[in-house]
Amino acid sequence: MAIVETKGLTKVYGSGETAVVALDHVDLTLDAGEFVAVMGPSGCGKSTLLNLIGGLDAPTSGTVVIDGREISTLSDDEMTRLRRERIGFVFQFFNLIPVLDASENAALPLVLNGTGAAEARRKAEEWLGRVGLGDRLRARPDQLSGGQQQRVAIARALVSEPALVLADEPTGNLDSKSSEEIASLLRQVSAEWGRAVLMVTHDPRIAAHADRIVFMRDGRVVDDTKIADAASARVAMERVGLL
Amino acid sequence: MSIALRLAWRYLSGRKLRTALTTLAIVFGVMLIFGLNGVLPGMRDAMQRMMLAAIGEVDLTVTSASSAPFPAEVAQRVAEVRGVGAATPVARRTVAMPAKPDYKVTSLVVVGIDPATAYAVRPMPVADGRLLEERDDAPDAAPAAIASRATAEKMGVKVGDAIVLPSASGTTEVTLVGTIDSPAPPGSDELYVPLSLAQEMFALGDRITDVDAVFEATADRTAVERAVKDRLGDAYTIGGIATESTLAAGFDAAAAIFNVLGFFALAMGGFIILNTFRTVVAERRHDIGMLRATGASRRTILGLFLTESLLQGAIGTGLGLLAGWGFAVFVSGVLRGYIQGLMRMEDFGVVFEPQAWVLAVGLGMGVTVLAAVVPARAAARITPLDALRPQIGDVYEKAATRRAWAGLALIVVGAALLFVGSTGAMGLGCVLILVGMSLGAATAVKPITDATSRAIEAVYRSEGGVARANLQRNPGRAGATASAVMISIALVVMIFGMTSSVLGGYGEYAKRTTGTDFLLIPNNLIVSGGAVGAGPELAQRIRATDGIAAVATLRYAPAVVQGMTVQVIGIDPDEYGRIASFRWTEGSSDADLERLNRPGTVIANGNFRGQTGLGKGDTFTMMTPAGKRTFTIVGGGNDYINAKLPTVYVSQDALAELWGVTTDIMVLANAKEGADRAAVRAALEGIARDYPSFALYDSAEWQKVTDNLFAQLRATYTTLALMLAIPSLLALLNTLAIGVLARTREIGMLRAVGATRRQVKRMVVGESLLLASVGVAAGLVAGVPLSVFVVKAITMLGLEFPYVFPWSGMAAAVAIGLAFAGLAAWYPARQAAKLDVIRALRYE
Ligand SMILES: Nc1ncnc2c1ncn2[C@@H]1O[C@H](COP(=O)(O)OP(=O)(O)OP(=O)(O)O)[C@@H](O)[C@H]1O
Ligand SMILES: [Mg+2]
Repeated sequence: MAIVETKGLTKVYGSGETAVVALDHVDLTLDAGEFVAVMGPSGCGKSTLLNLIGGLDAPTSGTVVIDGREISTLSDDEMTRLRRERIGFVFQFFNLIPVLDASENAALPLVLNGTGAAEARRKAEEWLGRVGLGDRLRARPDQLSGGQQQRVAIARALVSEPALVLADEPTGNLDSKSSEEIASLLRQVSAEWGRAVLMVTHDPRIAAHADRIVFMRDGRVVDDTKIADAASARVAMERVGLL
Repeated sequence: MSIALRLAWRYLSGRKLRTALTTLAIVFGVMLIFGLNGVLPGMRDAMQRMMLAAIGEVDLTVTSASSAPFPAEVAQRVAEVRGVGAATPVARRTVAMPAKPDYKVTSLVVVGIDPATAYAVRPMPVADGRLLEERDDAPDAAPAAIASRATAEKMGVKVGDAIVLPSASGTTEVTLVGTIDSPAPPGSDELYVPLSLAQEMFALGDRITDVDAVFEATADRTAVERAVKDRLGDAYTIGGIATESTLAAGFDAAAAIFNVLGFFALAMGGFIILNTFRTVVAERRHDIGMLRATGASRRTILGLFLTESLLQGAIGTGLGLLAGWGFAVFVSGVLRGYIQGLMRMEDFGVVFEPQAWVLAVGLGMGVTVLAAVVPARAAARITPLDALRPQIGDVYEKAATRRAWAGLALIVVGAALLFVGSTGAMGLGCVLILVGMSLGAATAVKPITDATSRAIEAVYRSEGGVARANLQRNPGRAGATASAVMISIALVVMIFGMTSSVLGGYGEYAKRTTGTDFLLIPNNLIVSGGAVGAGPELAQRIRATDGIAAVATLRYAPAVVQGMTVQVIGIDPDEYGRIASFRWTEGSSDADLERLNRPGTVIANGNFRGQTGLGKGDTFTMMTPAGKRTFTIVGGGNDYINAKLPTVYVSQDALAELWGVTTDIMVLANAKEGADRAAVRAALEGIARDYPSFALYDSAEWQKVTDNLFAQLRATYTTLALMLAIPSLLALLNTLAIGVLARTREIGMLRAVGATRRQVKRMVVGESLLLASVGVAAGLVAGVPLSVFVVKAITMLGLEFPYVFPWSGMAAAVAIGLAFAGLAAWYPARQAAKLDVIRALRYE
């Protein structure tokens, strides 16, 4: 079953001579529990795609359907509720509120949704345990390493049991060991916990954890390949000239 | 705890310095409003108690509508009304007790009672000695008195002791023949004497000041009250003495003024809060965007910021109330000494009425939340995407141009209103100009600082340039800070403008109207209602003194015009002009004095004309003890001493005929040319000694008294001006501290590439000076119309002062602005210079 379906998704920034076509008629489908990596050169429209799917920005033309609902028809409040309940975000930077501790940060979507404090906390700590942070529940973001911070962000993205997790370069500023850990965590998110994951990355080794890699160039999807292992990922990358 | 509250608390406690500065801004305004409202009611009550004496626990008190004495037979008429059980005549006067002998009370209410009827109305259980008896009221009886035991103890007198009281004939000695067990009315000490003695002491003839009555046990109280009213007609007031006294009205006016000043202080606080919150929003852009992406709605974000502002407001207001209480205690302590030196008023405490709470809490919280609303709404508009991009410029910049145009429009309308001619329009114009300037401040920052930074860059080229760039890159914040400084500076100019015009004008009045060689006035001149006058002998003795050429006296009675209490001053039209003179207005001259000899004529002072709207040639009715009478205003003139109150001048013959007043409350005397002044003075001192409630001044001494008073007033106003400037200091400090904090990383970078600590310091000081220069420039411009307005508003109350351009105020304002700029920069500059480079570069 498709969680996300985009049709002719197009985004143009600016107008006239300075117009930039960031996305050009992108059709993409994402099934429940699928782990998809998006790759492509800088400026090819990867972040734009994620932002449109997450309802953070509005497309110039085309549609995004999430859970069977076309999101352009939703009001700001309805979109906010959809994000809160069905989508989890993991960004490269600025993921956490500096004045809240790890469990408070992870509990945010539930608290914002009106879940009782104790219940929200319990769930947050459960997820923090699953991402391997059971011993750092009370730590503030500035007391955590970059990899640990991203794990808190992933726990937060999962705490409201969303169907879809969007991650834009979640390993962008991590060392290779931490990156590997985050990638296998995301793998677990889709394989074990059944969420669809759409992840942007520049790193071939990280992308190799995915079920499928979508390659983009100049706002267009140029290749969409299912991969079985690191070797088949490599083949695909060589084919589109990324390696 | 809800997430909003938890976040608000964490954020506030995470930036301690900034929170402290913002809190201070609220504390200051709340303190002013709450504190002053705590002092004034207590003072007003004390004043009222003093003036009203005590009505006691009787059922009904009758006074004349004009509060002037009236015939004793009225008591009989009241007693005859059905339902009245008993009625008794009372002659009541508050006397200021001389400092020597020291009876430990500053004032005493002397109550003349009729022993035959008094006890039926007010039972007096004997504690010691005896009550006053009818034989004490006989013409040749020895002067006797009784008092409550508490009062006697306080005064340190026992039964059998003599008490010296001020009276119309100088002093009267009475013997305390008994004490009673009835509690004294709160706040006033009463001494009871036989009615005839009181009438003699206060030269009342056979008149009285009150009738006290009790009802029959079964009587319908309202019906009896109505019956008494019908019987006596509208020349009499049932109940208490007219409470709408001019002094109470004056206090309400003072309270209103202080509230306005407090509000100005809070408005400045508002700019500080606005700055804090707009910085906070900019700083938390990423947090906000992340929250939005995780599912926080716009309303949630707005709610977060409003919660934070509520919390901030609650902390500030709470501390402000506390500070206000301390302030009230302090100010009332200072004022108590000051006022009691002036008029021997009783003690007063600090009282916080419900309005004071409502006003302080409402404004404290209101201003904070209001100042946070605009940044909070901007925060709610931040999209999740905005947050993920690096920040470009001020969020508010787009709106700045629109606001500047709106501001300009307001300034133009405000300026036009200044020339409409009405004082109200002028006040509105001033406010519009201030608001307009605040709106345009952000846009004016660049051109003004481009100009003013030349001076700084001439001395410190590179630091000056950096300071200017730093300031100009956040024009919104700079504009709000400059607005706070502007209001301060405008108020300083206004206050100085007012003092130079008013005190200058008063000084001139004082010289004109009291240019006499000698002056005898009661110690408690201000409360003329309670002052004990002197019988005609005092003036006669002075007239008979060797070396005295001319004597004039002033007499006093209260009256009611248009429902308002006014003072009626009796002068002798023929002798007054020889000694003193009015400051004539409305084309009047000394020749008009003579016209007072015709019955039914008055000269009115400016205050009276201002408050009643009457002018020369108009007729009006005035309530006198003899009934309603019609008078014609034959001239307009002011004298210094009575200028503060609505006053009409009548001939002393008219005062005697209509009010029955023949006592003098002021005696002016001129020496003969070539007379031995010292000898004359010694002779007058001998006479004055017999009248302890009067003080003798020669012209130089009086001048000194006036000068002292003016110096005190000037000092008070200067202090007030400085206090009102404090929020601008806070605003500068807040902005600079915020700037240094926000630029921590940049400063670290500057230091890393070779800027010295001193250079970093200079950059902060330079920024402070530039900020202040914008505020001072705008404040000087806005302050001038404000000062014109205030002087005009005072003129409307009847005191005509020539407007003096506040050059000194402008100089003072510039000095204050620069000094505060330096002071405000001191701490942030030090912080910036102390930065550890490595840590600064890692700062987030
Ligand atoms: N707000 C904007 N205004 C104008 N152009 C934009 C804006 N955001 C993105 N673009 C342009 O759209 C194109 C796609 O940008 P996008 O951020 O999606 O790239 P990306 O694939 O995520 O790149 P990177 O790998 O560097 O993150 C780029 O050419 C970019 O310059
Ligand atoms: Mg990107």
